[in-house]
Amino acid sequence: MSEERDRILDLLAVGKITAEEAGRLLDAVESRRRQTEAAPASVVPENGSGETPKYIFVKVLSVKGDNVNIKVPLGLVRAGLKLTSFIPQPAMEQINKSMGEHGMSMDLLNFKSEDLEELLQALREMEIDVDAANGDNVRVYAA
Amino acid sequence: MKVPPYALRIRIVEQERTRFRLWFPLFLLWPLVLVFVILTLVVTAIVDVFRLLAGARKSYSRLVVACLAIVGETRGTEVFVQDKSRTVVVTVR
Repeated sequence: MSEERDRILDLLAVGKITAEEAGRLLDAVESRRRQTEAAPASVVPENGSGETPKYIFVKVLSVKGDNVNIKVPLGLVRAGLKLTSFIPQPAMEQINKSMGEHGMSMDLLNFKSEDLEELLQALREMEIDVDAANGDNVRVYAA
Repeated sequence: MKVPPYALRIRIVEQERTRFRLWFPLFLLWPLVLVFVILTLVVTAIVDVFRLLAGARKSYSRLVVACLAIVGETRGTEVFVQDKSRTVVVTVR
């Protein structure tokens, strides 16, 4: 599956396919991967809970040809959260205060792993799709 | 903790021609890194024992393991940036 992604990115890099086509192909590869990895008796429960998303995707399609496609493993978020426990208390308080001043009142010291799993589960439902007036498109989602 | 990435792939394309291509076998570095990590963990374990006796709570050994975990989680990262003249593709496998 990773070879397919590499091929798609290579075709896009040399201009044989457009960014939009590459985006559709990458989405198709990703959904096929999810289907093949699903357990035989897997039916997504009605409450929407299911697999925790594994990656966060950021796609920017620009009419000027400046395109960006980034895939980042969400495991980095989990691993990074464990590092916050090593930040000294005075520094953490300063960080929390600064985040609060910018509208994000979240205490990183009391952020538990269960809260993080809940947040990551909720990311499955998140999709940000922005169409700018000049034709640029930004899409952020987790899968 | 995930297995660390085994390869880094970088490709730079200009005017539809590949100008730079690199496939770097990261797995060749891991034995060296493992030796370094083991030595570091030995030192941090000794330090942690003394710190524990002194009443400190944070463990440097856990910090080393947490840093390793972050390296492992980079596996699967893909970055594709394209402008009018150049395309850069970086993948971590």
